[in-house]
Amino acid sequence: MTTTQDTTTPSDKTSGVTYTPEDGLLLEVEDLYVEFHTPDGIATAINGVSFDLHQGESLAILGESGSGKSVTAQAIMGILDMPPAVIPGGHIRYCGQDLLSMPEDQRRRTRGPEVSMIFQDALSSLNPVFPVGWQIAEMFRMHRGVNKSDALEQAIRLMERVQIPAARDRVKAYPHQFSGGMRQRIMIAMAIALDPAVLIADEPTTALDVTVQAQIMALLDELQQERQMGLILITHDLGVVADVADRIAVMYAGRFVEKADVVELYSAPAHPYTRGLLESIPRLDQKGQTLAAIGGLPPNLMRIPPGCPFNPRCRRAEDVCRRDRPELREVVPGRFAACHFAEEVINA
Amino acid sequence: MGTYVIRRLLQMIPVILGATFLIFTMVFALPGDPLAGKCGERPCPPAYAAAFREKYNLNDPLPIQYGKYVGNLAQGDFGETTNGIKVIDQLKARYPITAQLALMALAFEAIIGITVGVFTGIRRGGFLDNLVLISTLVVISIPVFVVGGLSQYFLGVRLGLFPVTVTSANPTFYQLMLPAMVLGSISLAYISRLTRTSLVENLRSDYVRTATAKGLRRRRAVGLHALRNSLIPVVTFIGFDFGFLLGGAIVTEAIFNIPGVGGYLFRSIRARDGASVVGTVTVLVIVFLFVNLLVDLLYGLLDPRISHD
Ligand SMILES: Nc1ncnc2c1ncn2[C@@H]1O[C@H](COP(=O)(O)OP(=O)(O)OP(=O)(O)O)[C@@H](O)[C@H]1O
Ligand code: SF4
Ligand SMILES: [Mg+2]
Repeated sequence: MTTTQDTTTPSDKTSGVTYTPEDGLLLEVEDLYVEFHTPDGIATAINGVSFDLHQGESLAILGESGSGKSVTAQAIMGILDMPPAVIPGGHIRYCGQDLLSMPEDQRRRTRGPEVSMIFQDALSSLNPVFPVGWQIAEMFRMHRGVNKSDALEQAIRLMERVQIPAARDRVKAYPHQFSGGMRQRIMIAMAIALDPAVLIADEPTTALDVTVQAQIMALLDELQQERQMGLILITHDLGVVADVADRIAVMYAGRFVEKADVVELYSAPAHPYTRGLLESIPRLDQKGQTLAAIGGLPPNLMRIPPGCPFNPRCRRAEDVCRRDRPELREVVPGRFAACHFAEEVINA
Repeated sequence: MGTYVIRRLLQMIPVILGATFLIFTMVFALPGDPLAGKCGERPCPPAYAAAFREKYNLNDPLPIQYGKYVGNLAQGDFGETTNGIKVIDQLKARYPITAQLALMALAFEAIIGITVGVFTGIRRGGFLDNLVLISTLVVISIPVFVVGGLSQYFLGVRLGLFPVTVTSANPTFYQLMLPAMVLGSISLAYISRLTRTSLVENLRSDYVRTATAKGLRRRRAVGLHALRNSLIPVVTFIGFDFGFLLGGAIVTEAIFNIPGVGGYLFRSIRARDGASVVGTVTVLVIVFLFVNLLVDLLYGLLDPRISHD
């Protein structure tokens, strides 16, 4: 985390800066790099990622564990621990303004009212010693200078909006007194409190039961339609987001290896890695065979192999794959893939 | 909550009985004649010895002796010292001094310990952090009488900042300052380390990341969200330490000539003054148990995940 220059304004309601999206374009991530400088060496966790996000659009970022999904999200939110993280290159523009070069205090004020985030584990992500209503109300108090009781009243309304039963009675309860699904609803209420334009959900349902997963996804979908937010849905399970997402970006070793409309990607993946992921979606008739389709492990981020980073695990790999790095390119209109043989893969 | 407190209070009864019985047995029944040394170098005159034995029920079997003692205790009678002074009066005169010393030591160790812990925790690995790490290790590894003697000599005698010893039966706040600092020094070292470790751990936690993602100022994310959680073990430690401090500080009281319960207990043991020892220990046990109960209740207030029902 960078150190902040705290000013002494009592609340942020007078921050003065307004952000207006041009042509609905909320977020532009351009050639972003993130490194972790550790005692063992430099790990390049994000390796030139670019994408746009518009109002009302939902983008899913799909990838295995360690592919860099959370680091991407944290870089956008500005909550990476720096050090060890370093951002050696790239831009993250929100409504045309570069978040990376913005003064820290101005950037801090975008967290909550403009860009907001939900985390995977709601139990550890909520503060165990404060009541949930208090934690939601804190958004109104700190950003808008609303007094305690009014803020609590607004928190209750939000808890009702995210369908927490008996919200008024439970506003003073602590996080551990809720079920996993209800806790995630509280996280969502907190994240949408100030009506952000961009909501990032980092594996919001991974810790939950399947039925609860569907309910949370439905709630996110509903809220997104209602508020026309730009939604970034991070997941390692395509099945969970397929109904909600418009577009999908597939991430591998810190790069986007494929970007496409969700239906098109589903019906004909353009990258061998995507194909492997689709084949690894568990089906009812083959329990426990997840990820059987892709053998091997993702590369060590301190020693990403030359050529195509996926080549050690790719069944199609040829000599060119070990020599030349395939760039993300438009294979057919609207479909991007980083594979030398994308045309063949997509038609296979 | 109410039933929890009642249950805890009831649990104290066997503990108090057990503790007093142990002390009682050790003091009165272990080898050695309670009359030894009472009358100088010579044995006591038979009449005196008989009266003494009668008064302290020494002719009864041990359980009866103990039963009579507890019976008196329940009526608030702690017995008399061998000089014929009521034990309760001794305690009444000395306990306030020990309590004042304990509170002063506690305030000293808590305020400075937490402050130091917070600053070293935020600036982990910095110069201050390393300096504190080394000095706390030094303080923890040096015996109290060395710390006491050195500070007495340098701060008291050489620099004249503090009175060297206590000179009255009712020590002033100023006279107790140096002893309180010496008494609190080891716990101060523990508290600063504990605060630092706990804060560092909590700064890495998911909910502090959430606090940052909520757009809170760093001061609030650290000073409220992380610190509130970090202080749970620290406050608990301070509470238990208060229980120990209220037991009297034998070494510190001896160095600074403070007329507290620690010194009284020490002298009573040396003088084989059974009534004083048992009476004092009983009071200390009860105080300790009550402080522990309060700490447990406080813990429940600090951490809503702990439920007392
Ligand atoms: N603080 C850190 N220090 C060093 N390396 C880190 C740090 N945080 C993340 N990384 C590395 O960055 C890479 C990407 O991590 P990231 O958390 O983004 O993965 P992910 O795609 O979100 O995976 P998951 O599905 O497990 O959440 C990982 O290899 C990880 O080891
Ligand atoms: S470039 Fe080669 S190794 Fe990489 S995914 Fe395509 S075929 Fe496989
Ligand atoms: Mg992750």
